[in-house]
Amino acid sequence: MPDPVKLREAVIEGDWKTAAAVTQAAIAAGVAPLAIVTGYLVPAMDEVGRRFECEEYFVPEMLLSARAMKASMDIVRPLLAAAGAEPVGRVVIGTVKGDLHDIGKNLVASMLEGGGFEVIDLGADVAPERFIEAAAANSANLVALSALLTVTMTSMKTTIDAFQAAGLREKVKIMVGGAPVTQQFADAIGADGYGQSAGAAVAVARKLVAA
Amino acid sequence: MRLKLISCEVLFREMCDACARSPHQVDLEFLPKGLHDLGGKAMAAKVQEAVDRTPEGAYEAILLGYGLCGNGLDGLTARHTRLVLPRAHDCIALLMGSRERYQAYFEANPGTFYHSTGWLERGKGLQQLTHNTVGFDESLEAMIRKYGEDNGRYLYQEMTRYRSQYRKLTFIETGLEAGGKFIAEAAAEARENGWSFERLPGDLAWLRRMVEGKWAETEFVVAGPGQRIAASYDTRVVKVQE
Repeated sequence: MPDPVKLREAVIEGDWKTAAAVTQAAIAAGVAPLAIVTGYLVPAMDEVGRRFECEEYFVPEMLLSARAMKASMDIVRPLLAAAGAEPVGRVVIGTVKGDLHDIGKNLVASMLEGGGFEVIDLGADVAPERFIEAAAANSANLVALSALLTVTMTSMKTTIDAFQAAGLREKVKIMVGGAPVTQQFADAIGADGYGQSAGAAVAVARKLVAA
Repeated sequence: MRLKLISCEVLFREMCDACARSPHQVDLEFLPKGLHDLGGKAMAAKVQEAVDRTPEGAYEAILLGYGLCGNGLDGLTARHTRLVLPRAHDCIALLMGSRERYQAYFEANPGTFYHSTGWLERGKGLQQLTHNTVGFDESLEAMIRKYGEDNGRYLYQEMTRYRSQYRKLTFIETGLEAGGKFIAEAAAEARENGWSFERLPGDLAWLRRMVEGKWAETEFVVAGPGQRIAASYDTRVVKVQE
């Protein structure tokens, strides 16, 4: 049976076929689904994030690693659900209204799933009402907003205000991220958290749902 | 007045035109469009370097041919000479002639890709200054060569998917389009990507007011020696900090 350590390597190398094959074999050999996530997938994505920060990996490499991780998660996810494993949190994620950029948001969504979250990804150009509907429908406890333009950053404030107006602000934590977003901006608009990178986003998300 | 203009090369034709008409003497310096791809902090450092190279006492003001540009101008500090920056999110607002017009058009036209003379002739990856955009301008063949058939094809699809998410290409016309080649090129790009195409009349009056020395508070931020320009996170776009 392929050594499960090969799973970590396959994710780092962006080899989705090996990732899927090793995951299948590990499950068949009795490795617990949760152990696959926490023991191999999460450390693998942490390493990928580290390589991106030191400019060894670029967006293409990140995308390939996320693809490999997703291949493994596709096998593990139903098993986790069947075992009644509770997600660490439920997060609704999307790029805000007017903004079509989604590569970064997609990476964060993958990392959050690897980090144990149930992720409801609304895509890009998402109006405040859609965030609210999805949060309510999925009993989400976290909302993650992404924007890549200073022009669309105002939609983050509009979205937070909409949650307030709908009487739902207390029910969710709201975090923001994206290249032009800063901690200062997050504070100014009343967000609960800010993720400076995809890796940092997962740590922030975990802290917010634990609070 | 003797003025120094440090501008992004994407505004080359429009800035040269404005400076040629100005009653003032303007010295021009253009910085690479690639700074846009560096991300806020790295771009800010490069623009600051250019400001810092300006000799003391030579100019009454340093004009900046930029907008906030993804925070690329956030933190810019005036040394001995005051800095003048338009209250614009980016060059598209400048070419449209007002931030209100840009905001209204942007909101009414989601999924729009903007072009101008500079974006067409200087916007492509001529100079790879950063790792942030590696992969975005590559062909399918290049991706397959680098990553193999399966991963290469997947990456090409992912990195060009934005093309199906945009719906329109808007070319901002300023009357500086030499013989129609820019319009033709923009129209062809729209067709290739399955986008609709619009020719929008631009308005160079805002740029012209900058090089004419007409710096109304509502349109420009002026930072005196020692002051910093910062993102204001409101409709005025930028502010001055001590």
